[in-house]
Amino acid sequence: MLAYFIARKAAGKYPSPLTSPVFLSTVIVIAVLLLLNIPYKKYEPASEIMTYFLGPATVALAVPLYRQRKVISAYAVPALTGLVAGIVSTIISAVFIAYLLNLSDLILVSLTIKSITIPVASEVARIIGADSILVAAFVMITGMLGAMTGPSLMNIMKIRDPFSRGLAIGTIAHGIGTAEAAREGELQGAVSGAAMGMAAIITSLFLPLILPVFL
Amino acid sequence: MRADKIIKFTLQITGLILINKAGFYIVELFELRIPGNVLGMILLFVLLWTRVVRLEWFEGAADFLVRHLSFFFVPISVGLMTLGGLIAENGIQLAVILFISAIIGMVFAGGTSHMLIKRKGGKETGNSADDL
Repeated sequence: MLAYFIARKAAGKYPSPLTSPVFLSTVIVIAVLLLLNIPYKKYEPASEIMTYFLGPATVALAVPLYRQRKVISAYAVPALTGLVAGIVSTIISAVFIAYLLNLSDLILVSLTIKSITIPVASEVARIIGADSILVAAFVMITGMLGAMTGPSLMNIMKIRDPFSRGLAIGTIAHGIGTAEAAREGELQGAVSGAAMGMAAIITSLFLPLILPVFL
Repeated sequence: MRADKIIKFTLQITGLILINKAGFYIVELFELRIPGNVLGMILLFVLLWTRVVRLEWFEGAADFLVRHLSFFFVPISVGLMTLGGLIAENGIQLAVILFISAIIGMVFAGGTSHMLIKRKGGKETGNSADDL
């Protein structure tokens, strides 16, 4: 917890995806555990308390979604189509490459939920039998990659409307991307946050139903 | 004032926890294969939409939790230290997969939405979307 506060301060001072609070505090906690020779098992009770709030945190996502209801319904068709296109293409490309590389089924399954926000991802992981730690790692790395490359990728594609920019970043890079999108502009941040919530809903509703067909 | 805020915040968190519990309860009751917390989120959204509950009842605590969403990564990703072997073995492959698929996803999501918005209005959303 302390590590998180320190990391947030650092992130404020040196803004860069590398100083994203998550990344830094993870490094700090791991370093402390290793230095003091504390086995991971001992850290588990602390992490259980924190994971307890995953549920309420997910429920809280309804609030930004509700605030953006007018923008969302005005652009319902582009938003939904874009969301689904993004979700489906990212899952299929990840699983396909992993399949070509002969990676294990556990990795394949865990890759399917790499783009949804962590409180939902860890819950879906439980349902579809993915490895929760592996999923967390994929989610975190995806978020950082998306946040780093998203804005310049949109520039290269000449996508200037803030709605599509926020949508792309939020769909793929969830919370970490949303923080980045919000730096670009209020609308980008809001749409990105709503996209993150919608992506979580869509993925978690359909993935557990579709996945058994392929396994 | 300070005590007021703490009580309000605690009530708001309690409300979110209860809705979350309700979500899990419904999932269990109907043996659904969806996460209880997502159902809780949909539930709150519907309650807000139908004006059964008001935004102010949850606003403060919800904003706090959403802002610090990434905090929840920490305990889980600390578990990464137990994954050393896998990272050494497949690390680069996995990094490449994550990178490529993230790019593809953003290209498709942004591209599709951009194309549809342009076709619909012929004009970019620009600042006009702010006052929607």
